[in-house]
Amino acid sequence: MPARAKTLKRARQRKVAPIRLRKPASRRFAERFSLEFFADQIAAAIVVIDDRGKVVFANAKAYGLLRLAPSAVLDEPPSGLIRICYDRARQRAPQGEPLVFENYFAGRWFEVQAYRIGQDLPSQGGPYLLISLADISDRKRREFDTLENMAGLEEATRIAQMGTFRIDHTTHEIQWSPHMYILHGVTPERFRPTLNAYAALVYPEDREIVARNMALEGASYEGGFQYRIVKPDGALRWVNLDRRVLFDTDGEPYGVFGTVQDITETKQREQELQRLLRRNAILYEALEASPIGVGVLSAEDEKPQFIYVNTAFQETTLHSVDTLNPRGIVSLAAGPGSSEWQQVNGAIESSQSLSIELDCVRSDGAVFPALIEIAPVRDHPGKPASAFVINVRDLTADRQRAAVFLQSQKMEALGQLSGGVAHEINNLLQPVIALSDLGRDAVTADPPRAARYLQVIGNSGRKARDIVRQVLTFARRDSPQLGEFELVPLVEDAINLAHKGVPPGMEIVFSVEGRGFKAVCSPTQVSQVVLNLIRNAVDAMNGIGTVEVALRRREILESGEQIKGLDPGTWFELSVKDHGCGIDETTRARVFEPFFTTKPVGKGTGLGLSVVYSIVTGWGGTVEIDSQVDVGTRVMLYIPEAGSDSEQKPLEHAEGN
Amino acid sequence: MAHILLVEDSPEVSMSVREILISAGHSVEEAANGQVGLSLLKGGSKFDIVITDIWMPEMDGIAFLKQVRSAGNKIPVVVISGGAPNAPLTYTAPLASTFGANVVVYKPFEKEELLKAVADVLG
Repeated sequence: MPARAKTLKRARQRKVAPIRLRKPASRRFAERFSLEFFADQIAAAIVVIDDRGKVVFANAKAYGLLRLAPSAVLDEPPSGLIRICYDRARQRAPQGEPLVFENYFAGRWFEVQAYRIGQDLPSQGGPYLLISLADISDRKRREFDTLENMAGLEEATRIAQMGTFRIDHTTHEIQWSPHMYILHGVTPERFRPTLNAYAALVYPEDREIVARNMALEGASYEGGFQYRIVKPDGALRWVNLDRRVLFDTDGEPYGVFGTVQDITETKQREQELQRLLRRNAILYEALEASPIGVGVLSAEDEKPQFIYVNTAFQETTLHSVDTLNPRGIVSLAAGPGSSEWQQVNGAIESSQSLSIELDCVRSDGAVFPALIEIAPVRDHPGKPASAFVINVRDLTADRQRAAVFLQSQKMEALGQLSGGVAHEINNLLQPVIALSDLGRDAVTADPPRAARYLQVIGNSGRKARDIVRQVLTFARRDSPQLGEFELVPLVEDAINLAHKGVPPGMEIVFSVEGRGFKAVCSPTQVSQVVLNLIRNAVDAMNGIGTVEVALRRREILESGEQIKGLDPGTWFELSVKDHGCGIDETTRARVFEPFFTTKPVGKGTGLGLSVVYSIVTGWGGTVEIDSQVDVGTRVMLYIPEAGSDSEQKPLEHAEGN
Repeated sequence: MAHILLVEDSPEVSMSVREILISAGHSVEEAANGQVGLSLLKGGSKFDIVITDIWMPEMDGIAFLKQVRSAGNKIPVVVISGGAPNAPLTYTAPLASTFGANVVVYKPFEKEELLKAVADVLG
């Protein structure tokens, strides 16, 4: 309202004469006692305020409520609760209908009704505002109690595990809803809610924050916080408290009202979620830190898409998810049409796992040997994979190391070979040199002596020849003519020969399953191989026991049991089994090395198994060893059947040229 | 002239070494390994010198030498070696210092080499 208009209104108001009730009014005036009488009878406090804001009427209840004498009330601006109600109603009371509201004041609830009256009688001093205040505290309390006791609400609060409380700091009264007791594991019979009694239920560390929020000072108007309680049975629970401060009509805080809810499960879920998030973060960091390239290929869409590649993957391939995705995993293929890459595509199409060495290409075009491992990730067993974990490892360094290692092994083998040969030959040369020298004088002086010398010289020469032959067999510079031979009689001959060198306590048994064991080999070689294996078996057994030699047919099919290095077809398995000391892992890795031996000095040259291996691979076969320390060893030779496919292509000897 | 214990597993080598020693007027007793050598040393014969091979079955030359020296026997020892099948060829080099061999002669040696070594250790 403009200031000038206000001034005018005030001026007009001042001109208005005090209320003078005229005839109809005088008649009512005459009935005044009756009016006051009735006004005093009703339970509500009634106050009439004129448009100047002065009280022109009040009944006895109103005086009682205000605790003032009529002289302090009439013709004065309203005070206390009346003032609050007047301020509220003056602006907002509608025409005709009364404005009804409830107001809490000094510990009591009032229902306030405000009527705008005399609106159409400005000449009679209107409009007036009639305010009636009914004390509804009891009803409110009953309502409150009823509300809290209502089965439905109780059920709801029980389900919500929610209790309500009210603290009146003026009366030190604390009210708890039934569920508050349940929530805290106490009963109304045995627990009387006071601030001190409550503190005892609160987890010691949380007592301070609870006390602060229950107090009036220092607490914000409304809000919530979480704390722990310890029930009398010792159970620790997390609760959430939401509360607001209660204010009296003067705006003074006098209490706290709030709800308490058990949030232990929520809190646990929250903590579990935090743990999961933390674990995810660690997993992610671990993936990032992994020295192996790891990528995740999602198969959710029609075309598999990379959704993640770790740092090592990016460094290895110089690709990111963005540069990979237009073409998918084929982006890494050095030769997309190669059989290896077809296997990769096949594994992804059929949700299979795969581990394969192949050539990869980086985004800058450089090609490198790599190991790619694919593992399908399935949401449900048996269903197609929803994603694949793709590991990529650059094998360049491994290959270089392997080459260096192979070279050093070759050198070591060469050293052993030359050292072993040298020792044998040196020993054999000794009598040749010494006796030929001594024999020169004996030729005329002592011919029989000279003849003995020559005999020893000749023997030594032949032994040296045998050594050289073994070395050459090993090196395969000396390939005997191979032909088709039946294995059984050759093995039998060799066993008969071997019997001569076997201690009396030992036995050699030979079992044959089936017939027709024609293989492309040489009889001397078969004999050499069998003698070598039997010698090893005998040496392993310390002079007691049985060496079992067995020959049988093995059909290797495309599907079914496979033997390393063997193509499908018919193979003869010639095995020599002992119950001796066995071979440990470290030794097994070296048994085919020339001159490698674990035998005591003087027993064996260390050439045996390397010669066996060399001979059998020369027939297109292979050698397998099955051994357990202190249980025994079984050496199996796999020899291709003559005329079969496997025989057509003898395996290339690794060291051969 | 000396009485010599010859420890050598190869019959041909043993025979040829024996013949060299006998040709120079020495007397020889032969042992096929260290074990036999030890029992001969403990037996009735009084030896002036031991000649031993290294790589032998049962008891090799190194074990044999260790036992001889640990028993306090200071008899002169000549080692004859053809090199080691499973060890570097230089392995025999520390034999003298470690196991108390006086001289090492490598096979195949000439008659004169062995006789000089024998003469040297006899002093």
